[in-house]
Amino acid sequence: MALILFYLRKLFSVIKNEVLVLPSRVVVVLFFLFLLLVPLFTKDTYLLRIFTLTSIFAILAASWDLLSGFTGQMNFGHALFFGVGAYSAALLNKYGGIPPWGTVPLGGLGAVLAGLIIGIPCLRLRGTYLALTTLAFPIILMGLVFAFPNITGGELGISGIARLAGSRVADYYIAVVVMLGLCTIMWKITDSKTGIIFHAIREDELAVRTSGINTTRYKLLAFSLSGFFAGISGGIYAHFMRIAGPSTLEVSMSFQVVIWAIFGGIVTIYGPVGAVFVLFPLMEFLRFWQEYRILMFAAVVLLILLYMPDGLFRWLRDKIEKECPRCKIRNIATRDTCRICTASLD
Amino acid sequence: MERWKKRIFVLAMAFLFAVSSLTVASGQDTIKIGVIGPMKFVQGIGHWNGATMAAEEINAKGGIQVGPRKMKVELVQADSNEFLSITDATTAMERLIARDKVHFVVGGFRTEAVLAMQDIAMENKKIFIGVGAAHDELCLRVAKDYKTYKYWFRGSPFNSSFLGRTSFIHLGTVGAILRHSLNIPKVKVAIAAEKAEWTEPMIKAAETAIPGMGMEAVGVWRPSAVATDVTAELSAIQRSEAHIIFTIFSASVGIPFARQAGELKIPAVQVGINVEAQKDGFWGATRGMGNYVATMNTYARGVESNELTKAFVDTYVKRFGETPTYTADTYSAIVHGLATTIEQAGTLDPDKLVPIHETRVYKSPSGTVAYLKDAEGRHLHELRWGPGFLTALGVQWQDGELKAFWPNKWKATPEAPEVTYKGMVPYKIPPWMVEKFKK
Repeated sequence: MALILFYLRKLFSVIKNEVLVLPSRVVVVLFFLFLLLVPLFTKDTYLLRIFTLTSIFAILAASWDLLSGFTGQMNFGHALFFGVGAYSAALLNKYGGIPPWGTVPLGGLGAVLAGLIIGIPCLRLRGTYLALTTLAFPIILMGLVFAFPNITGGELGISGIARLAGSRVADYYIAVVVMLGLCTIMWKITDSKTGIIFHAIREDELAVRTSGINTTRYKLLAFSLSGFFAGISGGIYAHFMRIAGPSTLEVSMSFQVVIWAIFGGIVTIYGPVGAVFVLFPLMEFLRFWQEYRILMFAAVVLLILLYMPDGLFRWLRDKIEKECPRCKIRNIATRDTCRICTASLD
Repeated sequence: MERWKKRIFVLAMAFLFAVSSLTVASGQDTIKIGVIGPMKFVQGIGHWNGATMAAEEINAKGGIQVGPRKMKVELVQADSNEFLSITDATTAMERLIARDKVHFVVGGFRTEAVLAMQDIAMENKKIFIGVGAAHDELCLRVAKDYKTYKYWFRGSPFNSSFLGRTSFIHLGTVGAILRHSLNIPKVKVAIAAEKAEWTEPMIKAAETAIPGMGMEAVGVWRPSAVATDVTAELSAIQRSEAHIIFTIFSASVGIPFARQAGELKIPAVQVGINVEAQKDGFWGATRGMGNYVATMNTYARGVESNELTKAFVDTYVKRFGETPTYTADTYSAIVHGLATTIEQAGTLDPDKLVPIHETRVYKSPSGTVAYLKDAEGRHLHELRWGPGFLTALGVQWQDGELKAFWPNKWKATPEAPEVTYKGMVPYKIPPWMVEKFKK
């Protein structure tokens, strides 16, 4: 009993001193609660489907940010990881009889392998050259998919694979909990020593190497981690849709991820996640105006990027919070002095 | 200024929400049929036009008799956007079922998308009549897992194996005409197939079937599905001295291929599948150079597979200004398929409708519909092909008009009865071919 009380007091203390002091953290907690409680208020399978798919794509968008945003390894072929994850999970389920809880992580590992395969030849490339090279890889894999239709199902893909779970609510919870967990892990990675090295590689790789850090290893690590998370999302997608087809490797899928990430704000993790939760349901919402759906979507993205070039969620965060010029700690925008070092915030 | 912007934003959001909510509102005494397809593309437009005609026709007669009451048909359109996003297609299907509460669904085109949409419809026990996707797998699922997939029926076209078989019959027919008319002892055939996975089995089958028909296959040419210049391929085909080009095109390459072949007066006739040549706009798109191009098709003006064809085609042309394509068979799926089955069953319960529908044999504007079973006697819900059932047409562009030349005194087997549809015309050999080969 005393132990429970101790942890309750600790939780209360964390909420009071760590969460309630910053609006962005309150929003994140509310976001977590909202997603976890949605099925208690509605069993609408359409709504649950949208949120499930949104969660899956949120993992994908955040994994792109980890690689391209934080580490600066501009990847225009992120669909490769997604497709490898989806196809690996589907193949293992269909031919190996492995259930989804086994195929999804194995799909992630398959994508890690893909990350290493493309990471190694791309190590010497930077910027535009890297972007264009990575763009080619999903196209190459799609060529292989069509070249071996007996294994991959060719144009049809691999269909009839096991459902993610027995009901739409269970599908929803799996996707949402995995998304919340993986995005938290990604955010923690970016906040760790490894994350700082990722940042540094993006800013000045030469300086990092002169500091004695093996940048090759860290770049490969970034490719592998990003591949793993994207592969997991691909595996969940395949089992949720019950099909893994060439559409998972399409160029449009790669660019969709980039749009989501830039719309929300890169180098944040939360930005791409938030962007998917805005843009994916928005596309569904715009179904009532079918003729202009894509046009409206493009207009929204363009307007946001025109007036908020750092992304929607960075802009919002800067409106509600201020960074202390001295200790770099964030404070609510209404404060005049820093909550830690008491320096003036104006 | 800031406050004004905020007000506008709030008003706009409220308006969007209201409009979105209104689309969910539904009538209680109507049979709701979801029409799903790529609505910004010609295939989806065909789906919608066919279904619109069906609903108008049924509602003009007071509706469908369901037990003691008449129920009108209400259509719900869903843009699957399936050419661009499979995810979109599945959410559109889920919306139709969960939000719009449709009783039945018709449509679908891209097989990968239809497979995913099929799963959603089956989970919700909704009868889904596929009008567009031809892959065999869609119906094989019914045989493999009848309990789950029994709500799926193929509406149009018949499956890809039958499509292949029909196009080989057209090839054989044209080959025989050339042999007899131009005294060509050994007809040579060039295979021109777009670079797409679906063409692979057809190419392999063609390479086997052509020698079996007493002709010679001289090579395979694979232009890109979206090629705009195919002169290299056409020059190579000309050098191969082919008399027939067996086309396997579903994409836009069908237009430049036909146009440039006409411009270069390539002495080889085109026959097979060219989806672009099925459309009314083909003549204009090829600037008349597509003259004499032949393809498989479902409908042609002035051709009657049975007594229902003329009324359907004429009304469709009058209503929409173009000849119907096979995706417009949503019309027959609703009018001749669903409506009659519902009236016979007197209920909308899918479990009671399926056993009636799968055993029905009924006429539709494109022929007589019956559903096949597999070799083990399991239901496939696959369309029966052949004389007396569905056959499709062999059509040819002749001086700006799409005319049908097949089936014309066609015998599937030596013992089978002859099949000729009303409105058939003789196949025409291009004059430059006659000039070159006539001795």
